[in-house]
Amino acid sequence: MAAAPQLPTIHSQWARAPFYFNSASHLLRIGREKAATLMELLEAIRSCPESSIFQHTFQTLAEHHFISGGFSNDFSHWAFASCNEVELAERLAAIDVREFTSIAALRERLIHIIESYLQKNPRAATRAAMEPFYLMASDLVVIPTPYLARNLEEFAEGLRKVSIHAIYYHFIDARLRLKLNTNDFSVWLEKELDLSQAAEKVNRIDIYTSTLEGVRREILKVVEAEMDRK
Amino acid sequence: MKDKNPAKTVMADEGSKAGAPARQEHTPTEVAQKPVEEPAPPAGIERRFRQTDLPAHFIERRRHPRIRREQPPVPASPRFEDYGSIIGTPELDEIRFLARHLRGKTVKMVNSTAVGGGVAEILNRLIPLMNELEIATRWDVITGGNDFFEVTKGFHNALHGGEYNLTQQIMDIFMAYSEQNRKRMEFNEDLIVIHDPQPVGLVRSRSPEHGKWMWRCHIDLSNPHPRVWKFLQPLVEQYDATIFSAPSFTRQLASPQYLFYPSIDPLSEKNKELPEEYINKVCDDFGIDRSRPVITQISRFDRLKDPVGVVEAYKLVKKYVDCQLVLAGGGATDDPEGAVVLQEVMEAAGDDPDIIILNLPPWSALEINALQRASTVIVQKSLREGFGLTVTEGLWKEKPVVAGAVGGITSQIVHKLTGVLVHSVEGCAYQIRYLLTHPEFATQLGKNGKAHAKENFLITVSLKRWLVLFQILLGMAKPNAIL
Repeated sequence: MAAAPQLPTIHSQWARAPFYFNSASHLLRIGREKAATLMELLEAIRSCPESSIFQHTFQTLAEHHFISGGFSNDFSHWAFASCNEVELAERLAAIDVREFTSIAALRERLIHIIESYLQKNPRAATRAAMEPFYLMASDLVVIPTPYLARNLEEFAEGLRKVSIHAIYYHFIDARLRLKLNTNDFSVWLEKELDLSQAAEKVNRIDIYTSTLEGVRREILKVVEAEMDRK
Repeated sequence: MKDKNPAKTVMADEGSKAGAPARQEHTPTEVAQKPVEEPAPPAGIERRFRQTDLPAHFIERRRHPRIRREQPPVPASPRFEDYGSIIGTPELDEIRFLARHLRGKTVKMVNSTAVGGGVAEILNRLIPLMNELEIATRWDVITGGNDFFEVTKGFHNALHGGEYNLTQQIMDIFMAYSEQNRKRMEFNEDLIVIHDPQPVGLVRSRSPEHGKWMWRCHIDLSNPHPRVWKFLQPLVEQYDATIFSAPSFTRQLASPQYLFYPSIDPLSEKNKELPEEYINKVCDDFGIDRSRPVITQISRFDRLKDPVGVVEAYKLVKKYVDCQLVLAGGGATDDPEGAVVLQEVMEAAGDDPDIIILNLPPWSALEINALQRASTVIVQKSLREGFGLTVTEGLWKEKPVVAGAVGGITSQIVHKLTGVLVHSVEGCAYQIRYLLTHPEFATQLGKNGKAHAKENFLITVSLKRWLVLFQILLGMAKPNAIL
């Protein structure tokens, strides 16, 4: 008796459009502003270009992607390590860049946190920091990779193979590009494969308690579970 | 004007075939491979040790360490693909992609010496990699008489903030040699990178129609002698971009300033993986007891590296934790001040048999590598520092590093995350004690430190930065746009 023809499994379902994996490389530009006190930092945050706010909040997550649970943004780290203002550092560290879809809104939040802290602690405003804070910015250049995914298997394969910079580019940097509280991976899963639950799970992965390699593993777990489920 | 440096120009990879470029040393080879004419230091530093329970062979080796007396042959440079085992294939592919975009473009790098010094060491590694990636890169070295190099040495010290009497004659000497070099050299390349202040005046050959000029400043300009800087600034302002090693090293300039950290080569003798047997052999040669913690500072015997401060910190640690201190470096043979500092260190060490002082010859890269790998904690208690490559070397070897919070070190170490920054002997001692008694924390620092070094301070990162900068300056890559 001839074997019944194998029905195609759902998990090899083709996406409406493929996912193109890109990566990114950045160059640090040294800005003109620097701050030797918290008041100067406040002024610098008010006046610096958006690229500097981006650098010290989003981009620094890529630079310190191997550290989990201790590094959230450069402003917080400076308030802690150079100004010894632990409470301010904690408040700044609690900022989650994923909540922001514009740098302007993120800048406002930073200003608000520092202003309210200095109102309560006016003597902290002009106390000299141990090391100045140098505002920088980065020029990000996007690099295409040879990997593309037309289904979940190829997507998982691409996730395993791309560099950590690609994970950063699609998972963190994407938020500002998309102007949405989401990321490239989730958008593709939902829009091109109708996998809204998986998209949501990927979007909930915590970048502040995990390294970027950890993020890669978590995304793979979600994708593999989806493949198994089908 | 007598030339100190004979003209040295090498066209990199001339005649090599696309796809399989011949591996060459791209320093002016004949110069780079000459044996360094530096005498080996004395075989041992005679010290009297107080009575100790240490086995006799340790004491014998500490008195008479086995130091290699002759310079070993220069090893072959690694190939680009060899770095795949370290940074991974995707990263290699990204660099290859960036390089492919630049095929057909030409690069010239210019500095003031073909051999000796950190810049020559970096170029000797970087230029072969660029050529292997088929970006034709040429390395030229400026020439000059003793009078020129005396002036540039004076400028170097003055730019670091030292006193200097800048006269018209000095400025004339500097400009005369700049002009002489400018006339001797051609600048037809698409990208010209000038390293450090000595050749900065070559920018007068810049043409608005062709070529982008970059000035890579490896020194700290945070507090320059005002008149010397005023003299050099108009030249620096003519570059399309400037590159510094730390944000604090910069000046206000009209052109964009980029941050490139100095890098180490993970496949060099100084940094490559070593078999445990070799590490044991080196420890045996120097009388190091691997059963007890080893605290190590590798640096020239120079007051700015504060070796006496390290001895004092060790003594404070030793009250609580049984450990050994290794101070290894060079410079005490060829540098009169180095000999004085070595003497001061020996006096500070006194008759403590657990302080091991090694004055090593310049060809001791493998031994230094082994010492760093045998260490429990690595210290770099500098009082002033540009960018501490020994810090990066320690981070790369996954060691907890305790370092002075000065200069570029504050970029290398994120306090308590990738290492520990200290400001005093007491702070240094406390942090060493803490690390020796909290091995889990020390291990985590080491892991983070290695990742930090891999992300920021390897030669492959530096290569990638150059490739991105070249494309940005040539208008081939728009920031935030796909290449």
